Amino acid sequence: MILAAAMNPEALSGVDDTIVRVRRGDPDALTALISRYQHRLYRYLVRLVREPAAADDLFQQTWLRVMEKIGRYDARRNFEAWLFSVAHNLAVDSWRLKRGDSLDDTGDSGETRGSALGDRLPLDQPDALERLLDFERGAMLAACIHELPAIHREVLTLRFEEDMKLEEIAEVAGIPLATVKSRLRRALEGLRAAMELRTQGGRGA
Amino acid sequence: MSGHESIKELLALAAGGALDAPEQRRLEEHARECPACRRELEIWSAYSQGLHQLPQPAAPAQLVERTRARVWQERASAADRRWDEMMLGALALFAWTVGLTAWFVARIFTGGALVFLGTNLVRFGTWSAISTVLVWLTAAVAALALGKRRREFRRAL
Repeated sequence: MILAAAMNPEALSGVDDTIVRVRRGDPDALTALISRYQHRLYRYLVRLVREPAAADDLFQQTWLRVMEKIGRYDARRNFEAWLFSVAHNLAVDSWRLKRGDSLDDTGDSGETRGSALGDRLPLDQPDALERLLDFERGAMLAACIHELPAIHREVLTLRFEEDMKLEEIAEVAGIPLATVKSRLRRALEGLRAAMELRTQGGRGA
Repeated sequence: MSGHESIKELLALAAGGALDAPEQRRLEEHARECPACRRELEIWSAYSQGLHQLPQPAAPAQLVERTRARVWQERASAADRRWDEMMLGALALFAWTVGLTAWFVARIFTGGALVFLGTNLVRFGTWSAISTVLVWLTAAVAALALGKRRREFRRAL
């Protein structure tokens, strides 16, 4: 076994055995790899594109692209970040095809609105989240995230649901680390502002 | 910008666990003295907790199986295309070889002149032109036949 490992540079560099087998064209390994990331990748795509049918198609396209590129995948890179960056690029391409613009162009107005409202929130009042009952919070947060620009939805899901480090998010979205940080802050402030608007609207009605 | 104002910018990032060590220290030192920022931290912490517990979208049924099938179908199609290209290339090469050999043989048997409708068929240029047309016609028929056979085979599966 040691000799086999010595003969195989990928085994030595600690590459996941499943990925090595997928590279060799093993169908069972591919099924195992897709199953492993099924829920996380699908969740990321749903958060990003919002439409389940589009997420389903992008999920399949992602794995087609993975199979095309797996031979060139640099084993020193984090596989998850690489996989999600493949999905991100495909989502951006489909966005451009459908709407004639890019994913990154869709959040400017939302960013300004979010931070401006966030600054006006009184510090001594109960917060929007606190005004809700426990069982309402998840659904209300999800609804507010749904309204945010795509780049903000993306950074929130990668940070809080995928638990990715800022460096990994930068790799997935193809942006500098400083942009990830500012985007994350604006996304959170925008989310809080949206929660404030929704709960105020609910109380006023 | 006052200390309080500059710290406000860090509050949301603290919830996202995105502060570096000096920023974290600055925030903690300020929050010890500032009830308003401590309160903000509490609120952001609730957001962070809420974001970790969002309702999860359910992956569609058979997603893995459908994806796997699409990947293998695509790979099979790509392999078929490569095979077809190789076969057609080999076929064209073989046809050219046969054409050239036939030209030599025809020249020997006809003494270099086989005139039909005023054209010497065993002249190299004429022979090449006829051979080229025949080779491409054969290749096109072969490609159509291969495609048809493959479609029928797929339908039968």
